[in-house]
Amino acid sequence: MTFSIARKEFQDTWRDGRFRWAAAIVLLLLGVSFLLARQQVEHQRNEREDATKMERDNWLNQGQKNAHAAAHYGVYVFKPVAPLSVFDRGLQPFVGNTVYLEAHRQNQAAFLPAQDATSMRRFGDLTAAACLQLLLPLLIILLAFGTLAGERESGTLRQVLSLGVRPASLVFGKALGLGGALALLLLPAAAGGAYALSGISGMDAAGEESALRLCLMACAYLLYLGAILVICITVSALAPTSRSALSILLVFWAANAVLAPRLASDLAQWSHPTPKMADLDADLLEARKQALNSHNPNSEAMKEFIEKNRDASGKLPANFRALLMQESERQTNLVYEKHFGGIWDLMEDQDKVVTWAGLAAPLLGLRSASVALAGTDFTHHRHFSIAAEKHRREFIRMLNNSHGASGRELWEKLPPFRYQPPSLSQAVSTAMPGLIILCLWLAGGCAALYVASRRLKPS
Amino acid sequence: MSTHIFLLELRMMARERAAWLLLALFAGALSYGYWNGHQLAKRNSEAAETALQGSEELQRKIREHLSSPGKAIPVGGRGGIAMVGFLAQLPPAPLPVLATGQSDLVPASETVSLMRLTTPVSTRSEIENPSHLLAGRFDLAFVLIWLYPLFLLAFLYDLMAGDRETGTLRLALSQGISPAGWLCRRTLARAFPVVALALAATLLAGSDGYGTRLGAALAVILLYGLFWATLAVAINAVSNSAAGAATSLGAAWVAIVLVAPTLLNLAAESLYPTPSRPELVAASRQASGEAEKLGDQLLDSFYKEHPELAPPDKRADYVAMKLTEQEEVARSVAPVLEKFDKQLLRQQQTVGRWRFVSPAIVAHEALTDIAGTGYWRHRAFRGQVKAFKHAISDFYTPKAHRREPLVLADVDKMPQFTFQEEPKSDWLARVSTGLGGMLAFSAVIGCWALLSLRPRRLGAAIG
Repeated sequence: MTFSIARKEFQDTWRDGRFRWAAAIVLLLLGVSFLLARQQVEHQRNEREDATKMERDNWLNQGQKNAHAAAHYGVYVFKPVAPLSVFDRGLQPFVGNTVYLEAHRQNQAAFLPAQDATSMRRFGDLTAAACLQLLLPLLIILLAFGTLAGERESGTLRQVLSLGVRPASLVFGKALGLGGALALLLLPAAAGGAYALSGISGMDAAGEESALRLCLMACAYLLYLGAILVICITVSALAPTSRSALSILLVFWAANAVLAPRLASDLAQWSHPTPKMADLDADLLEARKQALNSHNPNSEAMKEFIEKNRDASGKLPANFRALLMQESERQTNLVYEKHFGGIWDLMEDQDKVVTWAGLAAPLLGLRSASVALAGTDFTHHRHFSIAAEKHRREFIRMLNNSHGASGRELWEKLPPFRYQPPSLSQAVSTAMPGLIILCLWLAGGCAALYVASRRLKPS
Repeated sequence: MSTHIFLLELRMMARERAAWLLLALFAGALSYGYWNGHQLAKRNSEAAETALQGSEELQRKIREHLSSPGKAIPVGGRGGIAMVGFLAQLPPAPLPVLATGQSDLVPASETVSLMRLTTPVSTRSEIENPSHLLAGRFDLAFVLIWLYPLFLLAFLYDLMAGDRETGTLRLALSQGISPAGWLCRRTLARAFPVVALALAATLLAGSDGYGTRLGAALAVILLYGLFWATLAVAINAVSNSAAGAATSLGAAWVAIVLVAPTLLNLAAESLYPTPSRPELVAASRQASGEAEKLGDQLLDSFYKEHPELAPPDKRADYVAMKLTEQEEVARSVAPVLEKFDKQLLRQQQTVGRWRFVSPAIVAHEALTDIAGTGYWRHRAFRGQVKAFKHAISDFYTPKAHRREPLVLADVDKMPQFTFQEEPKSDWLARVSTGLGGMLAFSAVIGCWALLSLRPRRLGAAIG
C-alpha cells in the first residue's frame, strides 16, 4: 500500500505545474552557479600557479646577497584553490590567500577576496551549495505543505482513511512519493555537478579523494533535504489547515535559513569573545621584546645568550652567529605559536558552537559538514597556515646554517612550497559533528512523522 | 468612510493575538539589531581612538625630541624617520548603528612609512572569525532589509484573497466603496504598526548633527515599505486564495532579497574580473628585484633628472638608493594597480546601474551610503591614503637625498592625514537616484494593481 501511495504522490507531484516551474528555476540557478563557479575556480587556479612560478623566479633571480638579507627578502606562498569550492566556496572569500614568509616574523594569510569585491558580497554567494541549502527547502515546503492538510480541507483524507488505509502507510507513502520526485530533480543537478567538477585540473591529482568527499557531501545534503521533507509532511499532518501549515513552514524556513546563521555566530562570539586587534598587537609586541632578537645587541636576552655560549676561556663558538639567529627564531616562533595558536583555537571553538547550534537549526549542521568536506572551512585554512609556517621555519633554518654561502646555488636549495591539503579522514572528523546533527534531525523528523501518523485526524 | 475602514481594520488587528506576537517579534529583532550595531560601532570607535592616541603620542615625542637644542632626526639609518609609520585613519562613520556595511571587513586605518610605500600591504581589520563574516551581521540594516518586508508581508498577504475565498469580498464591496479604496485603507492600517516600528528604530540610530542623513534613512525605510505594500496589494488583487498570495509573495521575497543581489554580484564579477592579488604581489616583487639590480643606474639617472637633490659627494646612502628603487617599482606596477582599481570600480558601477532590479539592493546601497559604511566612503579613504603616501614621499624623499635631518621647523610641515568626507551632494545624489528608481518600480506595480482592481476585471474574478 505504501508504495502505491508513493507512486500516486510521485505522479501527482510530477504533473503539478508549480513543481515544474519551481524545479526549472532551481535547476537553472544550479546550472548557472556551477558553470560560473567552474570558470572562476579554473581561472583562480591558473592565476595562482602563474603567481607561484613568478615568485619562484623572483626568489632564484634575486642576485648575490647575504643569506640573512635573503631571509628578510623572503618568499610569498599562495593558497591553492580547493577543487570542491566549485560546489561550496565556504570561507574562501573571507580568508587570506597569500602568506609572506620572512625572517623573525610569522605573518597571517593576507588579502581577503571579499575585500576586493562589490558591496553585494554581503548578500552571500550564489553557489550550488546555497541553492541546495536555501532554495530547495523552499521548493519542498511548496510541494509538501498541502499534502495532508489540503486533503483534510477538501475531505479526501476522510475518504482515503475510510478505505482502511493505515495512516502510517499514507504518511510515509506520501513522503516517499515526494522524495522520489525530488530525487529525479536532483539527478540532472548531480550530472551537472559531476560535469563541472570533471574539468577542474586539481581533480585529476586527488581525484579519488575528491570523489569520496563529494559522495559524503551528497550524503549530507540528502540527510538535510530528507529531514526537511519529513518535517514538512509532519507539519502538514498536524496543522488544522493548509494555510497554517504553510505559515508554520515558512517561519521555520526563515528561522533556519535567515536568522540561525547570524544568531549562532553571535552566540559563538558571546560564549568565546574575540580579543581586540590592538590588545593582540600589544601582547605580541611585549612578548617579542622579551624574546631574543638577533638584531638587538643590547637586550638582556642577548647578554644572557652570549654568557651561556662562552667557553671556559671566554670565547664564543665559531658558528655563534648561526646559533644566535636560530635561537632567536626559536624563541620568536614560540611567541607566535602561543598568540596565533590561541586565536585559531578560539575561532575553532566558536565554529564548534555554531555547528552544535545546528541542533536547533539543521542548516548549521549541514554548512559545517559541507565546508569541511569541500575543504573550504577554517580547519583547512589553519592547516594551510601551519604548512606555510613549517616551510618558513625550514627556509630560515637552511639560510641560517648556510655557513656564509650565498647566491643562486643556495637559493635553489630551498625547495618550492608544495601544499598537501588535509587527508579525507581529517576532513571527515571535522565534518562528523555536522553529519551527526543531520542524522539526528532525520531520525527525529521520522519519529515525529510516525507520531503524527498515529494522531492523524480526518477532519 | 475613509477613516472608518482604517480604524476598523486597526481595531480588528488589535484583537488578533498573532498580530501582537508578530509585532513583539519585530520589535525584538529591531532592538537586537540596534544593540548589535551599537556594539560594533563602539568597538570600531574605540579602535580608532586607540590608533589616534598612538599617532598623537608619536607626534608629541617627535616634537619633544626636536625641541631639545641641537637635536634632529635623520631620515635614514637606525632611528630614522624613514621606517616610522604614520597613521591614516578613517573617522568613525556618521550613523554606524544603522548599517555595518563594509566596516567589519575593510580596514579603517593604514600605517604609511616612507620605506614601505610600494610593499604589498597586508590589509587587516579587527580580528574577525571568517565564519562570522560569511554569516553576516544581525544589525539594524539586516532587520530593515531582510526581515522588515517579511513582517510586512505577514500582515499584508491576506488583504483580499482570503475574503475572495470565503465570499465576504462581495459583501464588503457591496457597501459602496471602490475596491482600490477599500484595499488601500486596509493596507495602510495593517502596515502602519510595522512601518512605525521600523521608522522608530531608524530614528534611534541617528546621531546629532546628521539630520539630512537621518531624513534620507527615514525616506528609504518609508519607500522600501511602500514597495512591499504595493506588491502585496497587486498580488492580492490577482490571487484566488490566501495561500496562493502568500506563496507568490514569499517567492517574490526570495527573488528580490535572496537571489537578485547574488546574481548581480556574480554578473559584475564575471563581466569585470579583477586581476588576481597573488599575481599582483608577484609582479610587484619582480619589479622590485629588477629595480634592485639596476640600483646604481637608476640613481644616476635620478640625479641627472634632479641635480638639486644629489648629495655633495654624489654617493647615495642606503635609504636614498632604496627610495629610488621604490620609485621605479611604483612606476612599474602602476598600470597593474590601475587596472585592478578600474575593474573594482566597474564592478561597483555595474551594481549601481543594475541596482534597480531589486529594491533590496537599492535599500542596502542607500542605507550603507547614508550610514557612512558603504563602498564609496571606503573607496574615498583608499584614494586619500594614496594621496597621503605621495605627500609623505614628496616631503621626505628630497631630505633623504640631501641627507637633511628633520628639525623642529619641519614638525608643523610634516604631512598629516585628515579624511575629507564626501560632499553631501554626492551621496545624496546616489541615494535619491536609488529612491527615485524604487518609487518608479512601486508606481509600475501600483498601476498593475489598479488595473486588476477595476470593477469589470474584479467582477469577473469574484463572479
